[in-house]
Amino acid sequence: MMDIVSYSLMGLGLVFWMWGTLPLLGDRSVLFKLHSLSVSDTLGSISIIAGLLLRIPSEWPLLLLALISLAIWNTVLGYVLAYCSSSGGNRG
Amino acid sequence: MCWPTVQARGGIVANFSTDLSVDAYVLAIAMLLPITACMLVTQVNPYHALVIRGILGAVAALVYALFGAADVALTEALVGTMLSITLYAIAVRSSLRMRLGVLEEALPERSPVADYPQPLPAATPVLSALRQALRQYHMRLELVAYPDPQALQAALVTKDVHTILLPSATAIAASQPPDSLTGHSSGQPLGQSSGQSSGQHSGHPSRSHTPPRRYQLQTRIQRLYEILQPVLPSDVASLDYLTLKSNPQTHLPHDPSAAVEPPPSMEVQS
Amino acid sequence: MQWILIAMILILLIPLYEAWQDDDIWQRMLAFASIATKTSIMILVISVLRDDWMIGVVGVLILSVGNAALMLLAHVLRRMNEG
Repeated sequence: MMDIVSYSLMGLGLVFWMWGTLPLLGDRSVLFKLHSLSVSDTLGSISIIAGLLLRIPSEWPLLLLALISLAIWNTVLGYVLAYCSSSGGNRG
Repeated sequence: MCWPTVQARGGIVANFSTDLSVDAYVLAIAMLLPITACMLVTQVNPYHALVIRGILGAVAALVYALFGAADVALTEALVGTMLSITLYAIAVRSSLRMRLGVLEEALPERSPVADYPQPLPAATPVLSALRQALRQYHMRLELVAYPDPQALQAALVTKDVHTILLPSATAIAASQPPDSLTGHSSGQPLGQSSGQSSGQHSGHPSRSHTPPRRYQLQTRIQRLYEILQPVLPSDVASLDYLTLKSNPQTHLPHDPSAAVEPPPSMEVQS
Repeated sequence: MQWILIAMILILLIPLYEAWQDDDIWQRMLAFASIATKTSIMILVISVLRDDWMIGVVGVLILSVGNAALMLLAHVLRRMNEG
């Protein structure tokens, strides 16, 4: 039972990854790609880590740390990349 | 002392090689490393190469962690990716540039807040042409302001800047027959380009009665002359290459005696 | 468990190709961000697969440090575009 839930969470994470990464190939603007990438990549990664957490509950502090740092850093990184790319493009 | 550790490592490697024959994903991940390395080698732009180097560092950390070397993976991520990329980015940024000395009147709105003042519209064509020419070599243009043409020439002689930008009349007056500077003039077709330049300056009616403002660039680096000479439009600016005479005082640009005593090109002026 | 890693490698090839073929530096930075996150998650999956706690710690560290490197590089590139 736990295995099924864990595998389905990881599969969902993979679908999110694919969903967020495929728009990279088109020639849309940087901000559009950044939006899809940051939202669905973070969701997919969180889902994969949750699947791993269900598989091995004994390592929960490590995986919880991974979850928290992933959520915080990816959000901040999205803001920083958007700020740098837009302000650099205006002057350049 | 060393023998047991060698024995232990050999045992680990032997166990691991049996794993390799089973798992296909180990081979697939290991194949990512040469692919990324080939991508890195084929890059031309140094900044793009830095980004690819970051990707290579991430993939290499993955491969090291896959093979059980956690310490090597951590070192690769910390030093190989973060530290070396940041240091190289700063090094490339501060070395691939051309310092261009300009007059302060070409940069009028220099407020203390803005680090990068916008130049006058009259100087914009030559600056954009310079930027376009330097962009092919991934170089930046860095503007340094000086109060008058004498200070500009002195900055060129003391190797403070690579190239100086002078309005044409001032440049001719300031560097007529220089003793220590042998200028290779670059064939300026004034008569041919007058039609184009008058059309170009039609947007500034206040300057239309004056002769078209051409600019003169003087560089002291032969490679910059070779880069800029073929691509610089001759109706915007002309380019001269100056060979500096080996002057013992130019080795010490901050020597007070060098500052008091004018450079040899200024003796003609005074 | 292994098919998850195989699928991850296949997904990882997409930003790798993007970083190779695109000329804009910010698109490459996006691909770099994507790859940095994906590789550290893969290290975590490998640590669970091998049941190796040490690799897991390294994966979490790389997950946070790789993003910091990205931000530093982004700021340096922004200053380059301004000057």
